[in-house]
Amino acid sequence: MNTPGYHGRYLRVDLTTAQASSVAIQPDVLRQFIGGSGLGVYLLLHEGAAVVDPLAVAAPIAFVFSPLVGSPLTTSAKFAVVCKSPLTDRINDSLAGSAFAIAGKRTGYDAILLTGRASKLSVLLIDDEQIVIEPAEELAGLTNRETQAAAGQRYGAEYQVASIGPAGERMIRYATISHDGRHAGRGGAGAVLGAKNIKAIAVRGKQRAAWADPQGLVQFAKELSERSFGPATAKYRELGTASNLLLFNRLNVLPTHNFQNGSFVGAEMISPEQLRVAREQTRSSCAACTIGCEHLYGLSGGGSVRLEYENLFALGPLCGIADSESVLQACRLCDDLGLDTISTGGTIAFAMECAQRGFIDAPWLQFGDGASMLRAIQMVVDHHDPDHPVAEKASVGNGSSCGNIGSLLALGSRRMALVIGQDTIHFAPQVKGLEIPGYDPRGLQMMALGFAVGTRGADHNRSGAYEIDFSEAVDRRDVRPESVELAIETEDKAAVMDSLILCKFLRGVLTDFYQESSEMLRLVTGWNITPYELREVGRRIVNAKKKFNILAGWTPQEDTLPERLLCQTVPEDARARLTPERLRSLITAYNLARGWNAEGWLEV
Amino acid sequence: MLVNVEFYGIPRSRAQVPSASATGVTLGEILQDLAARFPALGETCFHGSLLKPGFVANLRGDRFVSDPNTVLQDGDKLLLLSMDAGG
Repeated sequence: MNTPGYHGRYLRVDLTTAQASSVAIQPDVLRQFIGGSGLGVYLLLHEGAAVVDPLAVAAPIAFVFSPLVGSPLTTSAKFAVVCKSPLTDRINDSLAGSAFAIAGKRTGYDAILLTGRASKLSVLLIDDEQIVIEPAEELAGLTNRETQAAAGQRYGAEYQVASIGPAGERMIRYATISHDGRHAGRGGAGAVLGAKNIKAIAVRGKQRAAWADPQGLVQFAKELSERSFGPATAKYRELGTASNLLLFNRLNVLPTHNFQNGSFVGAEMISPEQLRVAREQTRSSCAACTIGCEHLYGLSGGGSVRLEYENLFALGPLCGIADSESVLQACRLCDDLGLDTISTGGTIAFAMECAQRGFIDAPWLQFGDGASMLRAIQMVVDHHDPDHPVAEKASVGNGSSCGNIGSLLALGSRRMALVIGQDTIHFAPQVKGLEIPGYDPRGLQMMALGFAVGTRGADHNRSGAYEIDFSEAVDRRDVRPESVELAIETEDKAAVMDSLILCKFLRGVLTDFYQESSEMLRLVTGWNITPYELREVGRRIVNAKKKFNILAGWTPQEDTLPERLLCQTVPEDARARLTPERLRSLITAYNLARGWNAEGWLEV
Repeated sequence: MLVNVEFYGIPRSRAQVPSASATGVTLGEILQDLAARFPALGETCFHGSLLKPGFVANLRGDRFVSDPNTVLQDGDKLLLLSMDAGG
């Protein structure tokens, strides 16, 4: 008999041979890794993914559900996509919300793992026990919205569809997987799916996992939903995450002009407070969510786009853009093409600075020029510079020439810097190859630690260390090694939330996270799991990710920040200064507090 | 004692202004003064002289404060904001 909340198996599809098999997952594995990110990392380690090129035929990619998916618990309709990142060559787990998670779990599997490569561009159809790889070359080049609309028409509304856009098809290393306007965004999972020739996955099913205590679960879910309407989520509900912008600007932690500044003179013009006055605005939410954080803003030419703090920052201040229409158009373009907005903005901002300083010959690409940013985004996917249409290979160096800017941008900022050379890597805004989110680590030094040690690279979702910076617990510009346990706590908690899976916007609603999460698991699975055991699950998952990275070639030298952020003070704030020595002392303390050695090695 | 208060996020939407002056010696007194002048702000964000969960205060852009007995200086800048970043 299956553990309640689970189907106790995953679907393994070899796309090369078109063979599918059902693989049992042992109950102790489920209890140790829960689901979502945790279970996905376990499956990838089990598959030996760490030593495989992420774009190779043999590379696996897993869509992983969780015990809470399909329950009435608010924000639980989420799925994780776990693979080795083609951007970082390290572990990557990206999460997205909504009905795909519910329909995916109803296929009767706790995860869908793909390996191999379809012979031509295809749609993978999963309908309970029926698995079909259907050629779909006519979908080539379609945007995410077009693909999902076409799949909906062809297969019917009962199917939920996750797709890649043109960026994924062309294996851009920061391509996303999209479902219903939401994205498993970071780290290039879309490129991995593209390498498998899978344009979309369509799922439906009728199988429901049982709940251990249905009455208790419904009652708990009802109370949690009521709490979720309270002040802890008002910011998300009423303003959305974009409301961070003006505060971050005020505190000089808003990365601007490729991290050359910590504040932006045009911030007010693109703030949600201003956008709400000037534009039509609507709200939306994931399936089974009572928070409703999504705020969509109207575009001048019709249509609308979802705006979050991270895409606003990356395609606005980071590129020096104060023109709201350009920012919104850029967000829409990234959504359609299937590009991670943070990596897109970070890479283009880096290219703008390279152009400004003469490292690449692209004088048209300038900070503050919205039209050039939009052109650059399109070129990422097109791999095509209209000024140099015949160039086959990027040619850069000494600012004298540059062939195909599009193909350079498509590499992401780290690989692009390595091609350009001339020490440009010192100001490429990335950690382990993943572009840095919108938190200047010099003024948020607990977050600096979180970025540096993050197994996925610079990441605000796998480490919530900024919560500590925005509290009385530390001096955010003078964080000491004695405080690293606080960063670890946020990282472990994120690992649990990403495995349950619950939205992080729920964290302020839960008064005792581990106690209440244990109770949710007990009601769904029947496990008498203690808060202490759940904490250990978090640590186990972080350790598993670290093990993956070590197997993939991790070295201690990659746990750092770009030299710019370690050598230059934020111009607007003399106290926002981070040194290599301070960061190293934090990292060492972190490693030892994790039970690893001082450099960060653990036995694998 | 006059303090300049800046509002961000929900506090701004409730106060309906980006900033305001407030009178008081301590954080608690400042919050009570603001609540009297901006009832919607007080109702959503304050519980007497305390900040409700979900809201925090920052002094001069430097340090976060919550103790209602925190003494402010004349001309200080106090930031009121919604807790939690992310997104």
